[in-house]
Amino acid sequence: MVLLLVDSQAWIITIVGWLIVFAALIVLVIVFNNVPRIMNINFKKKAKTNQTQQLSDSDDKKYLSGDETAAIAMALHLFFEEQHDEESNIITIKRIERRYSPWSSKIYGVRNFPR
Amino acid sequence: MNSKYRKSIIALVAVAILLTFQSVFGWMDAWAMEPASGGDAVGPLGATLHGLQSFWSFTGFANFDIRNLMMIFVGLFFIFLAIKYDYEPLLLVPIGFGVIIGNIPFVDGYKIGIYEQGSVMNYLYFGVTQGIYPPLIFLGIGAMTDFSSLISNPKLMILGAAAQIGIFATFLGASALGFTPQESGAIGIIGGADGPTAIFLSSKLAPHLMGAIAIAAYSYMALVPVIQPPIIRLIIPKKERLIKMKPPRAVSKTEKILFPIIGVLLTLFISPSALPLLGMLFFGNLLKESGVTERLADTSRNALINIITILLGITVGASTQADVFLTWDSLKIFGLGALSFMVATAGGLVFARVMNLFLKGDNKINPMIGAAGVSAVPDSARVVQVEGLKNDPSNHLLMHAMAPNVSGVIGSAVGAGILLSFLM
Repeated sequence: MVLLLVDSQAWIITIVGWLIVFAALIVLVIVFNNVPRIMNINFKKKAKTNQTQQLSDSDDKKYLSGDETAAIAMALHLFFEEQHDEESNIITIKRIERRYSPWSSKIYGVRNFPR
Repeated sequence: MNSKYRKSIIALVAVAILLTFQSVFGWMDAWAMEPASGGDAVGPLGATLHGLQSFWSFTGFANFDIRNLMMIFVGLFFIFLAIKYDYEPLLLVPIGFGVIIGNIPFVDGYKIGIYEQGSVMNYLYFGVTQGIYPPLIFLGIGAMTDFSSLISNPKLMILGAAAQIGIFATFLGASALGFTPQESGAIGIIGGADGPTAIFLSSKLAPHLMGAIAIAAYSYMALVPVIQPPIIRLIIPKKERLIKMKPPRAVSKTEKILFPIIGVLLTLFISPSALPLLGMLFFGNLLKESGVTERLADTSRNALINIITILLGITVGASTQADVFLTWDSLKIFGLGALSFMVATAGGLVFARVMNLFLKGDNKINPMIGAAGVSAVPDSARVVQVEGLKNDPSNHLLMHAMAPNVSGVIGSAVGAGILLSFLM
């Protein structure tokens, strides 16, 4: 049969092909919708044997939003990276009497050509 | 003098020099031939002229064809787009330069051209014709892709399937235009907006059309920022463009490790023909997520993919030799390619709007992310992000759009596998 200048085989490939792509990804959707649930079942079983009460509290906090994760990561980063020696917290500027030093003299930093 | 006139004069002088060369060498040619035709011994001058004539016959000027010049301009245009507008420069610069290389006129039979058995370019092209490069590119893509946005919101994966309507609509279109089923399948894959997949499938189904298909796929991928926004604005009303999606949940390491393993098992049991592509994609992702093969993941996503991109780009570009490439079929393929990108984008957007009818409250999605289902990682996701910010400067959709984007890669590879199994 020819429909819109295309034979029936092409239509079959089109429809069946697209449905298979859908099927493949829908299977993945179903599986990955349930993966966290399956992983939590194990967690629940372990927890039930110990403290059933604590489980219900922690249930709400199982997933953290991206913002919360970022905030916690930032706090930890600051805590670990900012550590340094204990200091007196008194800052003073010492005056140096002899200001001239040949190391900082401008005369050594420029070329001196004879005129 | 005005600089515009100066440029025109320089161009005219260049053409004049070219024509002078041709006429002078043509005259010398005739002169060199004269004594030989008379049967006399060729003198030193005649021998010199004969040598020069022989040299001339090997030059690009002597074998010049206007079609080569047209293709060289196409190559220059690609390089211009890549450098000036930053459109997929990693692809368009090698391809553009490859187009120039492939269209330098030469004499056949000296193992120079890409289609001549035994030439260096032909050896490099082997990786394209036999479908070796695309799976290696997929390995690198797998090693650099973070699937967590997909894992955190798996329902967005369906958008990647919806956008694959582009593949099948183009398949129908190509069939209607008189291409054989195999050719139609190879042309249809342009709608998958995935260069390596397009090359892989066309190398199996219609090797003679591969140059045109690859160039069409990569050109339209580079033009995603131009093609998609008007379609998004046409299909998605302003109110729906403002929808804010809830932030994706954090994904555990175990889930990230499980994804490539479960993904490869499920998708390949459904479509084993996509094994070279999806097998390598998920393998690359496992290298990344396992956390114990960082060296391999690092090589896959940097050194290896870079080498393959260079080889793939330059050889695909060079395969557009004018006498093979400039045909009516190529023009039809370009037309169908443009159509396929539009249909794929529209398919993803419409399906996203339909999905919203069944979703409530917080779970509603911004339908613009449907456009990212066409694959073309990460350009189409970036287009969605830019469009989202245009409508609401505080609405960042990039992470959400990455989910249909990467599922589009999986979807197009599955689609390629299906076409392969139907049409091989």
